[in-house]
Amino acid sequence: MSRPSDLVQGTLDLLILKTLAREPSHGWAIAKRIHLVSGEVLQVTQGSLYPALHRLEQQGWLKAAWVETEGGREAKVYSLTAAGRKQLARELESWDRLSAAIHLVVRNAEA
Amino acid sequence: MRRWLDIVRLRWRSLSRRGAADRDLDRELRFHLDRRVEELVAEGCSTREAHDRALREFGSPSSVAEQCRDTRRVHVLQHILQDLRYGARVLRAQPMLLVAATTSIALGVGANLTIFGLANSILLSQPTARDAGDLVHIRTTNGSHVSYTVWRELAAADVIGGLAGYDIETDMVWRDRDASVTLTPLLVTANFFDVLGIPIALGRGFTADEAAAELSPRLAVVSDAFWRRRLGANPSVVGTAITLDGAPYTVLGVLPADLRSLPGYGFMPDVYVPLSRTLIPTLDRIRATHVQLIGRLRPGQSAASAQAALGAVASGVAAQYGDPEAGSIRTVAHVGGLSQLKDFEQVALFFGVLLIVTALVLVIACANVAGLLLSRAAARRREIALRLALGASRRRLVQQLLTEGVLLAVLGTGAGLLLTEGFARLARGLVIELPLRVAPQWSFDARMLWAAAGMVILSSLLCGLAPALQATRSSLMPGLKQDAIAALHRRFHLRGWLVLGQVTISMLLLVITALFLRNLGLAERLSPGFDSARTVLAQVTFVTADAQKMAAVLDSVRALPGVEAVSFAAGVPLTMRYGGESGMHMRIDGREQRVRVDFFQNDVGPAYFETMGLRIVRGRGFSPSETTGTPRVVVINEEFARRYLEGLDPIGRHIYLPQRAQEESAQIIGVVSDSKYRTIGEDRSAAIYGAALQHGAARFTNIIVRTALPPESLVTPVSAAIMRLDASAAVSVEPMTSALRFALLPSRAGAALMGALGVLGTVLAMIGLYGVVAFAVSRRTSEIGIRVALGASRATVMRLVMKEGGVLVAIGVAAGLVLALMVTPALRAFLVADLPTTDPVSFAGTALLLAATSAAAIFGPARRALRVEPAVSLRVD
Repeated sequence: MSRPSDLVQGTLDLLILKTLAREPSHGWAIAKRIHLVSGEVLQVTQGSLYPALHRLEQQGWLKAAWVETEGGREAKVYSLTAAGRKQLARELESWDRLSAAIHLVVRNAEA
Repeated sequence: MRRWLDIVRLRWRSLSRRGAADRDLDRELRFHLDRRVEELVAEGCSTREAHDRALREFGSPSSVAEQCRDTRRVHVLQHILQDLRYGARVLRAQPMLLVAATTSIALGVGANLTIFGLANSILLSQPTARDAGDLVHIRTTNGSHVSYTVWRELAAADVIGGLAGYDIETDMVWRDRDASVTLTPLLVTANFFDVLGIPIALGRGFTADEAAAELSPRLAVVSDAFWRRRLGANPSVVGTAITLDGAPYTVLGVLPADLRSLPGYGFMPDVYVPLSRTLIPTLDRIRATHVQLIGRLRPGQSAASAQAALGAVASGVAAQYGDPEAGSIRTVAHVGGLSQLKDFEQVALFFGVLLIVTALVLVIACANVAGLLLSRAAARRREIALRLALGASRRRLVQQLLTEGVLLAVLGTGAGLLLTEGFARLARGLVIELPLRVAPQWSFDARMLWAAAGMVILSSLLCGLAPALQATRSSLMPGLKQDAIAALHRRFHLRGWLVLGQVTISMLLLVITALFLRNLGLAERLSPGFDSARTVLAQVTFVTADAQKMAAVLDSVRALPGVEAVSFAAGVPLTMRYGGESGMHMRIDGREQRVRVDFFQNDVGPAYFETMGLRIVRGRGFSPSETTGTPRVVVINEEFARRYLEGLDPIGRHIYLPQRAQEESAQIIGVVSDSKYRTIGEDRSAAIYGAALQHGAARFTNIIVRTALPPESLVTPVSAAIMRLDASAAVSVEPMTSALRFALLPSRAGAALMGALGVLGTVLAMIGLYGVVAFAVSRRTSEIGIRVALGASRATVMRLVMKEGGVLVAIGVAAGLVLALMVTPALRAFLVADLPTTDPVSFAGTALLLAATSAAAIFGPARRALRVEPAVSLRVD
């Protein structure tokens, strides 16, 4: 099971923003979705997820609303703001650059 | 933009509705937990098992919640408020600490702000005028003054916003019923009030149209002080006439009380009068420079462009009137502010030294507070260790302890401001013994407020940071344990460093103080080179100059009983207005090239040297027959002969004095002994004496009377004798010794200010030393108890305690001496020539004094240690 320390903070932000870009969801669903989509490799723990969500909200990239979910319980559902969308684009771009660079280094080092 | 609005809204919400935000957070986390429990149950766990596992996975919910809360950022603000409340509570609970710390800082800050305020008012403040920021001082290569004609031409050219001028070098006699009083007027150009826009409290200023010199105007604007003291603060005086120099002058207005006058440096002229040919007969001479220029820049005009524009006009004027030296504008500098410092380098330098010294006093004061907080931090070790163990971050604790420092600094600075106001009030009552009225104006302007704010920051850091870092550095365990002797010794160590620093700095302060005190002592004993003990000085201003009247006055004074000799002179050495020339290139017969000379100059009457007690070394003094029209003769002093004549025989030799339009040949007829001329501390200086009778009569003169009787007994007879002959003259008579007060003023001011600061700094440092030793003793009570119980003698215990402070003092004194040796050469300019900056008396004396004072400070706690009862002390802790 992957510990939160395996996830660089910036990476977690990227994962959350990307997940929310698809559809607004609550914390539980976000964690589940990241777990699922990553082929059950990445497990985001609550200890890092909720502080990250609150930080992103405070920065104005997410907005939150209490919405009734299936089962009749209210959950705090996050969605991307316009600024959040722009931030996602920026983070994706820098992620692409970073992963390409790491890939180059790792592969060349082997050769 | 919207995003920022959102952020502000969210932060505000979390700050203002903290409860609601926290409830939301709880609900959110609970939702997550519940879902996990449901999931586990679905996987087949029992409800209870699922619950436990979910909680285990989740970790501490409160820790997650705390982290979420932290993202709101507002915790910084919350913590500050919380710290302030807590700090206030802690300080209130310890009134002794509060009072000691606040007093310490208040004294340090008070001293700093007072000196800064003085420097600010004397050196940096702008004069009271409309848009004072646009005013500029204008100088030509000729010096600070230009002739009236040059001013008129420059002003008429109209190339800058306005050009006025003033002159402070002339005296006037004010006739008040039967008495005559010498006033220091500011003679100003007609457009002075128009250009400067100086506010008038009562009445009005004169305008350029009515006050032109060509109209021989008799108008006056008086200062608030003159109006209050001399005119009885009578509002109906406006429009009436006062008698100045025997003629009626109409008072047009009264200036406001808080006026910062144009000459600056606190000079307060009594009366403002337009320049006229009546007041200055030489007004139209191109080389008689009477006008100090002050200009106003046009809106948007720079000083440099004004300089260029004026320069173009000036070269034309110079060509037209044949005064080449007026032809170029040397500087155009803004009035007030830093550009003013260049004019008064010595004073500025002195204030520089003062400010450094007061800053050191503040450092000592803050070290005291830091020491107090440190020992309190030691007492609070358990509290702090407990909070660290409970998970408080170190940063958070440092912030808390710093807040206490800030609180103390704010309180202390507030009290310091009150103290400054107190000092300022005291100083306002101070009469400075100068021939001119000087009244420094303290004002709490923006610069003062910035200085105060800077002091809060500086003192909070100095007071709070060291204890805060120290208190939180230790590991948890010793703090939680009951006994922590070893850890305590480490803490004492930091306080020891603080005291070491205090002793070092106060040693430096004391050496500086001692130097200034020694300087005063030496200066008072220095011989001025002439006989001041047996002479009386009468300063006389006649309404009109008249050679015959002057001769009659001298005769009548000479006829008084007890008078041995009488003479007169344009200037009296060691009073304000003694003339001099520097950097002039003089032609001297027998020397091939012109010689660069610096010399003091005075015009004196016959028998001057005998009257003053100056020795005639060669040749003779002036005779009564050397009057206007006879070939010019001069007397030089020994230093002039030694420096510039290179062994040539002085008597009968001609030198060429640059006078008015061309050089004037003068024959040396005598050589007299050297004396001091401008300051008592000056080195040997060259001097030239001219024959006053060859220059015709002057309105202002100094009559010097030599007597065998006590000089005081001649004051009234001399005054009466002069008044009998000319009742309209303003006469002020005093023994020469009291007339020389000005010569000692810089030494006295230096000694008084430095003395006060040195004593203040040392007292603060001694309190710190006492505190640290007392603290060490109280902490070692049980140790001392054990030693006594085991049979240690009183002497041993005494030695133990004395050693504790003695080592600190010894190192501090040594370090302070070394530091002082490095620093004091910078004080050369303020000390009399005979006092070396490494004066052994000052250094050794101070070291002894500080050692003795320290011993006294240590002795108190040491005695307490001796009284320790073993049985009692062993029960401590």
